[in-house]
Amino acid sequence: MATESGTALPPAVAAAGAVAAEPVPAGAARRAVPRSRGSAPGAVPAARPEAATVASAAADASDRGARIAAVTIALAWHLAISLPAVLGAWQRMAAPVLVGAGWLVTAGVGVATGVRLLRGGPPPARRLAVALLVVDAVVFAAAGKAVLFTPANWVWSGLAWFFLLVLWRRPVGWLLMLLGAHASIALGAVLTHGATAPADLTRYAMYVYGTSSLPVAVFAGAAALAALARDRTRTAAAAGAVAAERVAAEQARQERQARLALVSGTAEEVLAALAAGDADPADPEVRRRCVLAAARLRRLIAEADDVPDPLLHELRAAADLAERNGLPIELIAVGAPPELPVEVRRRLADPLTAALAAARDWARITVLAGPDEVVVSLVTPDHDGPDPIGLDPPRDGTGRRDDPPADGPRPAPSAACRRGGQVTAGDPPEPDGGGPVEHVHERDGEIRWTQTRWRRT
Amino acid sequence: MDADAVAEDVTGGRPIGVAIVDDHPVVIDGVRAWLASEPRLRVLATGDDPDVVLRAAPEADVVLLDLRLHGRMVLDKLAELSAAGWRVVVYSEHGDPETMLAALDAGAAAFLAKHEGREHCVATVLAAATDRPYVPPTLAGAMVGDPRPDRPALSDKEREALLLWFQSMSKASVARRMRISEHTVKQYVDRARIKYTRAGRPAATKAALLARAIEDGLVRPEEIGIYRSHAQTDRPTP
Repeated sequence: MATESGTALPPAVAAAGAVAAEPVPAGAARRAVPRSRGSAPGAVPAARPEAATVASAAADASDRGARIAAVTIALAWHLAISLPAVLGAWQRMAAPVLVGAGWLVTAGVGVATGVRLLRGGPPPARRLAVALLVVDAVVFAAAGKAVLFTPANWVWSGLAWFFLLVLWRRPVGWLLMLLGAHASIALGAVLTHGATAPADLTRYAMYVYGTSSLPVAVFAGAAALAALARDRTRTAAAAGAVAAERVAAEQARQERQARLALVSGTAEEVLAALAAGDADPADPEVRRRCVLAAARLRRLIAEADDVPDPLLHELRAAADLAERNGLPIELIAVGAPPELPVEVRRRLADPLTAALAAARDWARITVLAGPDEVVVSLVTPDHDGPDPIGLDPPRDGTGRRDDPPADGPRPAPSAACRRGGQVTAGDPPEPDGGGPVEHVHERDGEIRWTQTRWRRT
Repeated sequence: MDADAVAEDVTGGRPIGVAIVDDHPVVIDGVRAWLASEPRLRVLATGDDPDVVLRAAPEADVVLLDLRLHGRMVLDKLAELSAAGWRVVVYSEHGDPETMLAALDAGAAAFLAKHEGREHCVATVLAAATDRPYVPPTLAGAMVGDPRPDRPALSDKEREALLLWFQSMSKASVARRMRISEHTVKQYVDRARIKYTRAGRPAATKAALLARAIEDGLVRPEEIGIYRSHAQTDRPTP
């Protein structure tokens, strides 16, 4: 809780009550302003989730070629090398039917996986890997010793490419594990068939190396390419977001300049009246108009959309000004306001700024903020002076015009004799996430209480 | 002033003993001066070490504890004292809501921001001495703005009362605004505070607050522990 300035204030006790409310005019034309950084066209927060999707799409596109190559190699090898070898050695194999069945199963797996890879998501890696390993073991056993080191034992050289297809885009460790299992099955078969002469073992080693190195290289290369593409796209997306933010900031700046011109106009009006002698500086009404014009100018200058918390920033700026005029002010904020549309923020802050200009003795500003509700309040001692001017929301130069409240600024009342029902006016919900801002102003002889409240709809 | 209801309950016998723990002598003198304006209160011991102070005044009814001693937040010490049954009123210049709620969770009888001044200080100590809640405006703000997902479920009326009390610091004004009596405003605020005895780890002081609240008819025993289903039952008890 940020206590800007501490004054021990006795909670007031009062008997007489006067309650009044200033409705915020409904139906004010909405301005086409960047509502906030988040909702400005193409601004950063909106771009971030997209960036991830875009990056993964880029990675997807970049390794499409690699996928086509892998599918082609696997199936071409299967068809052009393995099949003729199997058919040619049919008579010499221990159980040729099993070997042939294994070839068919693998072909099926290869075609299904290839379609999956080129059309959509990754294939069910685990189940297919297990199926391939079963085929692996069966064919090794069924081929027999006679064709162990020949192309007819097609699983040894051909199956690795199918491992590659099944495990596409999975961690490279999975492929290494599968190739390890493949090598173990082969070793088991070599030992079972009694091919343990040094020459056989050397051939085994050569086979393992020869059949694994190329698929691993292709697999790792494709993974690296995809990662690279993903990185590049992410960088490009971030650059795009920065550019979008710059555009939004420029819009906000122009918007502010337009409003600055308008508010400067009202300030000039007062200054001109003073200079021409039409306005008397001794008139409290004129002085209040000056303070108010200055507060608005200051608030506008403080209204930088890049400040982390613009609402608090604005209120603080108004408080600073009032404080400089000798008014002790307490400003306590609980919670962090959510990102609010500029319009909502102004409706929350403007009545407070106006009331602050009429405050005497002391003022207590509180801000209570949650993700779905922000309540701003100003409490000051009541006095016989008029209610602050400008409690109707200000006009600005962007086509919006707020009609003053039907009951207008109040005449100077004797506080104790005004007793009324509380009227609370809410705006109709803003079309895009604004939500209504409720504005209550009341005085009960003891305190003047201005409260604005925004609720997410 | 809101301490009136409490004041009636303090019988004229033994004065309420207060121990003050702070590492700034000037603050101790200031608080002592505040408390001196209330004849029912007597400062028994002061110092900058809670253990030493409480050894010097084992009969103290209320401990006023500065939450920051020698540059360190003493939330753990607060929890230890509260678990041992000391009624600790924390006062601190650290008025951020997280700290305030953490102090309540640790078992503090109340939390007072240092800038809140004499009347709130006296009222808080008087209330704490009889295990009754007192919620100064700043603490009310922290409670109504509590963002934690496991915060106690407060009724709409309780939230509104806390919010308006936080804003205006005047229960009379809150009462007018809500069109209820000042007594009812205080009940809403106090009931919200009692619900906070369920947050955080158990402490003897929390149990005492809860027991007294039931005794006073502020909450009903059947409301304890199943607040969520009673969220709409916010009619104050007579």
